[in-house]
Amino acid sequence: MVGLNGSLSIATEALGAQTAALEVANNNIANANTPGYSRQVVSLSSAALVQQGMTVDEGVSYQGFTSVRDSVLDMAINAATSDQGSLTAQSTLLTQINSAFSGTATGIGASLSTLFSDISALSTTPTDPSARQTVLSDANALADAFHQGAAALSNASSAANQQVSAAVAQVNQLSQQIAALNGQIAETNGGDAGALTDQRDELTTQLAQLIGVSTTQTGGTPTLTTTNGSPLVIGDTSYALQVTTAPDGAAHVLDAQGNDITDALSGGTIGGAITARDNAIPALSQQLDALASQFGSAMNSAQAEGYDLNGNPGTAMFAVPTTGSAAAGISVALTSGSQIAASSDGSSGSSGNVNALLAVQSSDLPSGASPTDTYANLVGNIGFAGSQVNSNLTATTSSLQQLTSQQDSESGVSIDEETANLIRYQQAYSAAARVISTINDMYGMLMNMSLGES
Amino acid sequence: MRVDPNISSLLNIGIQGTEQALNTAVQQVASGERVNVPSDDPAAAAANLQSLAGSANVDRYTQNGDAVLSQAQMADSALSNVVSELNQAITLGTQGADGSMTNENRAAIATQVQSVLSEVISQANTTFNGASLFAGTAGTVPAFATDSTSPTGYSYQGNSGVNSAAIGDNLQVNVNVPGDQIFSNPNGDVLGSLSQLISALGSGTTTDIGDAVNAVRSALTNVSQQRVVYAGVVNQVNAQESYLSQETISLSGQQQSLTGVDMSVAVSNLTQAQIAHSTILAAAAKVLPTSLLDYLN
Repeated sequence: MVGLNGSLSIATEALGAQTAALEVANNNIANANTPGYSRQVVSLSSAALVQQGMTVDEGVSYQGFTSVRDSVLDMAINAATSDQGSLTAQSTLLTQINSAFSGTATGIGASLSTLFSDISALSTTPTDPSARQTVLSDANALADAFHQGAAALSNASSAANQQVSAAVAQVNQLSQQIAALNGQIAETNGGDAGALTDQRDELTTQLAQLIGVSTTQTGGTPTLTTTNGSPLVIGDTSYALQVTTAPDGAAHVLDAQGNDITDALSGGTIGGAITARDNAIPALSQQLDALASQFGSAMNSAQAEGYDLNGNPGTAMFAVPTTGSAAAGISVALTSGSQIAASSDGSSGSSGNVNALLAVQSSDLPSGASPTDTYANLVGNIGFAGSQVNSNLTATTSSLQQLTSQQDSESGVSIDEETANLIRYQQAYSAAARVISTINDMYGMLMNMSLGES
Repeated sequence: MRVDPNISSLLNIGIQGTEQALNTAVQQVASGERVNVPSDDPAAAAANLQSLAGSANVDRYTQNGDAVLSQAQMADSALSNVVSELNQAITLGTQGADGSMTNENRAAIATQVQSVLSEVISQANTTFNGASLFAGTAGTVPAFATDSTSPTGYSYQGNSGVNSAAIGDNLQVNVNVPGDQIFSNPNGDVLGSLSQLISALGSGTTTDIGDAVNAVRSALTNVSQQRVVYAGVVNQVNAQESYLSQETISLSGQQQSLTGVDMSVAVSNLTQAQIAHSTILAAAAKVLPTSLLDYLN
C-alpha cells in the first residue's frame, strides 16, 4: 500500500531504528574502557513485503545488535594467558632463588675459599690455637651457608605451595561465577547475550591466568575443563578443585571426584608453580645436597688421614645426615680447633696433613668436579633456569600483547568510529523527522483543500 | 582491515619497554656491574665464581708465602748468630791451642766456650708463634734440652719432620730444617764439637784442642750449608710472590670483564635508551589527545 499513511509509518520506523542504533553507539561509548567488552554493531535491514506480485518497500527493520568477537582469537588469548601465568609464577620463584645465590662475597663459594685459605695458614702455624679456632669457625660458616642455600630452595617450594592453594581457591570462585553466567546466558535462548558473554569470556581469561583451560561446546552446553580434561564448569554447574597437603608438605590438587591431577595440570599460576616446585627446584636441591654430602665426606676422609694437635687420629669434621637434605642438615662435628688433623705423623708441630685437607679443594668429588666447580655449576644452572624462564616470559608477553591488540582491532570500541556513527544516526533521524513534518504539511494541505471546497 | 583503536594501551606497552631498557642502562652505569643475579648471565656468573676461587687461592698462596718468609728470615738470623758464635769458638780454640797458654788461661777460655755453647743452645731453641723453629715438627717442645746422659750435656727433643707450605698450585716449599741436621749432624756436629773443644781445653793437649777446633770448623761449614736452604726458600718465595701479584691483577681483570660493564658501551646504551624513551613519550603526547571530537565543533 502506498500512501501518506504508509510513508508516515516508514518514517516512524526509521525514527525508531535510528534511535536504537544511537542507543547501541551510546552503549559502546559507555563501555569504551570496560575490560573484556566487545563492541556491538546494530543490525538493520530493509523491510519489504510482496503484495499482489509486487514488492513493496516497508522501510527499515531493527534486528537487534551483535557483539563483534572472534572465538578463535579468544582461545589463542586464553592459551597465551595460561603460558604467561605459568611463566610468571616460575619467574617469581626462580628470581627469588637467583637473588639468594647472587652473592659473590658471601655464600657457599666464598665460605669454601675462606675455609681452605685458613686451613692453608695452618701449614706454617700448625700449633697456633687461634689459627685452628679460625678454621673451626670457617667450617661453621660454611655449614651455615649450606643451610641458607637449602633454605632458599625450600622457601621457594613453600611459596609455590602457597601459590597453588591460593590459586585453587580463586579458580573455584571463578568457576562458580562462570557457571552462574552460563545459566543466565542459557535463558536468552541462543540470542546474543552481549554483555553476559563478554563477562564470561573475561572471567574465562582470568581463569586461564590461573590454570590451563580448554573450552568446548557440547550440544549447546558450554564446557570448561582443565587442559587434562577435569571439568571445571559444565553448563550452569561448577566443579570445585580441592587442595590436599602430601606428607612431604607439597600441595596437591584434586579434581571434583577426588582424583589427584597435580602432575597432569599445566599452564597458569598453578601449572607454573607445580612445574617449578616439582622439576626445577628439586633438580637444584639435589645438586646442592650432593655437593654438601660429597664435600663433607671428602673432608672427613682427609681428616682421617691425619692426627690432631694431641696426636689422636683425626675424626670427622662434618656430620652429614644420611636421610633428608644433606645441605639443610650438615653440621660441624668437631668441637675444638685442636681436633683439626693438620699433623701427618702425630707430632703436634707437623702440618703434613694440611695438604691432604687442601687437596679436597682441587680434587674432583664423586660428582666429577671440584667443590668450587660444582658450586659454580650449580649457580650456573640456577642462572640458566631463571634466564630461560625470563626470556620465555618476555616472548609470551609480547605475543600476548600482539594477540590482545588483534582482538582489540576486532572487538575494541573506537570512540572516533562511534562519534562518526552518532552523527550518521543523528542525520538519519533528522531526515526521518523531516519526512514526518513534510507528510504533516501534506496532510495540512489536504485538510485545507477540503475546507476550502466546502 | 580495522585497526586497534586502543592506542593508549599500545603506547603503554611501548613506554614500559623503553622504561625497562632505561632502568637497565641506568643500573649498569650506576653499579658498573652487568651481572647482578646469576640469571643475568649464567655462564659469566659461574665463571666468575671460579675466577673468585682462583683469586682466593692466590691470596692464600701469598699469605703462606709471607708466613714462610718471616719464619725463614727468623731462622736465618738465628743461624747467622750461631755462625758468629762458632767463629768466636774457633778464635778461642785457636788461642787455647797455643803452646804458651797456661792451664788457668785454658780453663778461662773453656768457660768462654761454655757460654758460646749455651748461646748456641738458646739460638737452637728459637720459637716462632710459640713453636720451636728447629725441633722438626715436634711443636712447642724446645729443640734441645739438658741431658746429663748425653756427652754434650744436651739432647735433641725434636723429630726429623719437615713441614711444607703451598705457595702455588703445584708448588710446595719446605718451611723448616730439623734441628738435629743443623746442630748435631755427623758431618759437622755443632754441639759435639763445642763440648769436644771444652774437654780438650780442660785436658790441655794442644793436638786435641787443634782437632776440636777443626771439628768446630766443619760444624761451621755445615751450619752455613743449612743456612743456604733457608736462603733458597726466601728466594723462591720472593719470586713466586711477584708472580702471584701479577696473577691477582690478571684474575681481577678477568672478573671485571666477566661481570662488569664496559663503561663506553654502558653509557652509549644509556643514551640510546634515553632517546628511545623520549621518542615514545613525544609520540604519546602527540597522538593521545587527538580525537574526532576535537574537530567537530
